[in-house]
Amino acid sequence: MKTNNNTLLYILFIAVFAILLPAGYLSGLLSVNTISVWGRYFCFAIAALGIDLIWGYTGILSMCQAFFFCLGSYGIAMHLLLKKTATAGAVLPDFMAWNKIETLPFFWQPFQSFGWSLALCLLIPAVFAFIVGFVLFRSRIKGVYMAIITQALTLAMWLIFLRNETNLGGTNGLTDFSTILGFPLSSSSVKLGLYMISFVILCGAYFCCYKITHSKFGKVLQAIRDSESRVSYTAYKVVDYKLAVFVVAALLAAAGGMLYLPQTGIITPGRMDVKASVEMVMWVALGGRGNLKGAVIGALLVNFLYSICTSLFPDSWLFILGFLFVITVLYFDKGFMGLIDSIKQRFSATRFKTPQTTH
Amino acid sequence: MNTSLRMLMCCLLLLPLFSAGQDSASIYTAQLLQPPADSVRTKAIGRLAALRIPATFPLLMAINDKKLYLLDQKAVTVDSKPTGEGTYRLYSLYPDNTLLTNSSGQPLLLPLSALKTVDIPRGDRLQLAGIAPLLNLFSNDAQKRILAYSQLKNTGDSATLSILQAALAKETNADALRTGKDVLYAARLYKATSTANANAYIDSIGDNWSDNAPVLLRNYAKAGFLNQETAHYAAAKAVSLEKRYDSLQRIQNFFSGLSLGSILILIALGLSIVYGLAGIINMAHGEFMMIGAYTTYCTQVFFTHTLGIPQTDIFFLCALPLSFIVAGAMGWILERLVIRHLYAKPLESLLATWGVSLILIQTARLLFGDLTAVKTPQLLSGGWQVSPHLTLPYNRIFIIVLTLFMVLFTYLMLFRTRLGLQIRAVTQNRQMSACLGIETRRVASITFFIGSGLAGLAGCAITLIGNVVPDMGQTYIVDSFLVVVTGGVGKLAGTIFSGLGIGFFTKISESFFQAVYGKVFILVFIMLFMQYKPKGLFPDKGRIAED
Repeated sequence: MKTNNNTLLYILFIAVFAILLPAGYLSGLLSVNTISVWGRYFCFAIAALGIDLIWGYTGILSMCQAFFFCLGSYGIAMHLLLKKTATAGAVLPDFMAWNKIETLPFFWQPFQSFGWSLALCLLIPAVFAFIVGFVLFRSRIKGVYMAIITQALTLAMWLIFLRNETNLGGTNGLTDFSTILGFPLSSSSVKLGLYMISFVILCGAYFCCYKITHSKFGKVLQAIRDSESRVSYTAYKVVDYKLAVFVVAALLAAAGGMLYLPQTGIITPGRMDVKASVEMVMWVALGGRGNLKGAVIGALLVNFLYSICTSLFPDSWLFILGFLFVITVLYFDKGFMGLIDSIKQRFSATRFKTPQTTH
Repeated sequence: MNTSLRMLMCCLLLLPLFSAGQDSASIYTAQLLQPPADSVRTKAIGRLAALRIPATFPLLMAINDKKLYLLDQKAVTVDSKPTGEGTYRLYSLYPDNTLLTNSSGQPLLLPLSALKTVDIPRGDRLQLAGIAPLLNLFSNDAQKRILAYSQLKNTGDSATLSILQAALAKETNADALRTGKDVLYAARLYKATSTANANAYIDSIGDNWSDNAPVLLRNYAKAGFLNQETAHYAAAKAVSLEKRYDSLQRIQNFFSGLSLGSILILIALGLSIVYGLAGIINMAHGEFMMIGAYTTYCTQVFFTHTLGIPQTDIFFLCALPLSFIVAGAMGWILERLVIRHLYAKPLESLLATWGVSLILIQTARLLFGDLTAVKTPQLLSGGWQVSPHLTLPYNRIFIIVLTLFMVLFTYLMLFRTRLGLQIRAVTQNRQMSACLGIETRRVASITFFIGSGLAGLAGCAITLIGNVVPDMGQTYIVDSFLVVVTGGVGKLAGTIFSGLGIGFFTKISESFFQAVYGKVFILVFIMLFMQYKPKGLFPDKGRIAED
């Protein structure tokens, strides 16, 4: 019964986003911008999957996913910018010339090649997550402490990225790219291609996360969420599990960021401020945490709502978001998916009590 | 030898010139005020400008500024700004330049209409352009005088120096006096002919200690003007001045750290109590601070516009308790509506209160726009000038005192009242307290009221040092959470220690790195610190410590 439902949902999802939307664009019903916008939402959904793994399944509230997302974006942005300067015949990107920098900073050098850029975009967030996670988990920092420290970390990184002397474009961020691997970013077929790539990677990420959560590893993660101390009493190395899932979540966020950049054409530190990092967590909370479908749907839904509301009534978007936050947390603990489940359960006879998470 | 001889000659020559000049100055002045013909006045001004007699400078300055008036046939000038009632203070101009007083010894105040304006044509005034820098030494405006003094920095000719000396003799402003003395001593130092003399001037420059004294002394030492000995002496003096300056700077940093720390304490105090008691991470805490700040702003607007009371300090006195009550009331409402359902669910409460903070920020933005500012009360503007190079602003001192007071208040509330006992009991064990008949919900409501009120008070205090903007709470919230985390949740002493510690660290690291890297440094430090003390500075011991 349940698998049938799931299959139906998957088919519907693929039908809408892999066939209906591109078909709509090709037949001229949808503009290429709509396609691109949904492509961006897929990137957010990929990052949301990571948040669901670490928060929904393991119970660690990490507020630095937005930072990992931006690390991925910045890496690709650096590569694209270097390519553009190379084709324009210049030595340095424009903003560096304005800042009176003579030579390319050393950490920009490896981003000359596409392969290295891809590798570094994943490697840097992973190493960063490993170090931070090691330090934090080793000293058994958890719960609220973890949330606050990761948030402060994001804040600090945000401040660093805002500076001009870090050579990452400061407040303006990195923008104004022309091509990716020789294809012009402005052409609609490239946009459609990126959309499809994002979609495929989202599906792949979903599949991997599904496999992870249904493996023994995933069961241990959920056990850690429900009672960390009991897991450690049964001789599991809690720190290793947490560290692994933290790195995986960082990788997912970075992958989302990497795909996000060519579709928006700009990355600024605003993507990783405190607000952005809480919002990312909220996608998962609204969709339904501890539920991979919920994470994807939450990310898509909130961002879709955002683009509708900001164009219709720009002043009230924050009110809507705020109320959504409060109401979700107060009444729909399991988010959108939980709501659907509980409606379904109305019709069935028994209602299982959901296990409470410990604090 | 040659120079001293020339100086002597100069003095000898100047002496008779001075007395003769004095007489002719009186004649020219009289001609200028009541000229028989325009050409006579033009000539008189030209002669006065050429003579450069210090006593006539106030008069010439008044001409240059077009502020020459006659009062009972005597030349007077007025202050640059009127007093409250539109009247001006008057100064006589020649032969002496003094404040005019009435019969009871009070400054004489008159409106401009009571004076007769003396019009000097532009052509006549232009003759003064050559000595304009010197004239400014006699301006009524201290800032202009300071500028004029510093413009004389490299002049060495004795006529100018004697004018400088005359100006300094009647200098009243401390800053201007320091700048002027600096220039004078420097000029004399370069002219000094004996080691003892030069050293005496070096000492004087050291005692005077203006901002560019170290540079000046270093330049002198480099030039090696007189002999090696004075050069060394000057260099040593410069070093000692810089050392003293550095130590004062350290005190200033210490003070800034103290003031930043006390703001953090004020915010974190409420946060810490609420978290300890109810297990609530209140991300909207910063917004209660914002509410306090806007309450202060509204009080100011109410006082100045609705009640029509001009800028006074009363509004701030009223705003202090008001901001506490308004923010507290908002906190109480929030507790009733939202928080009540989230007890002991810190992560959920974090998200829900973040939503609340979004709503509050947007409401404030719609109501008040993006930027407003509260005028600092007169009483708290300015600062306590400990030394010329160390000023402790009154508003920051006030914040420190307020924090001390509120910490004391919180301490007494927590440890000397029945409510405090209940709060501590509920913090330790909610269920057991309820079993013993404590109304935990009521206690939580009151605690939330007090905690939010404290944030409101912090907001009121912050209006003294910054603008009021809708998202001002966000600037402090992460820092204050760090204070709570480092100090240990629900611990008064921990909050105070970590608040001060983070405040000091921020300011000290800012003096080494830039502000941003200072912040990163602190974060790394806290993360390392938590390796040793994962539950904060003052962790609970024994069974409470268990999960």
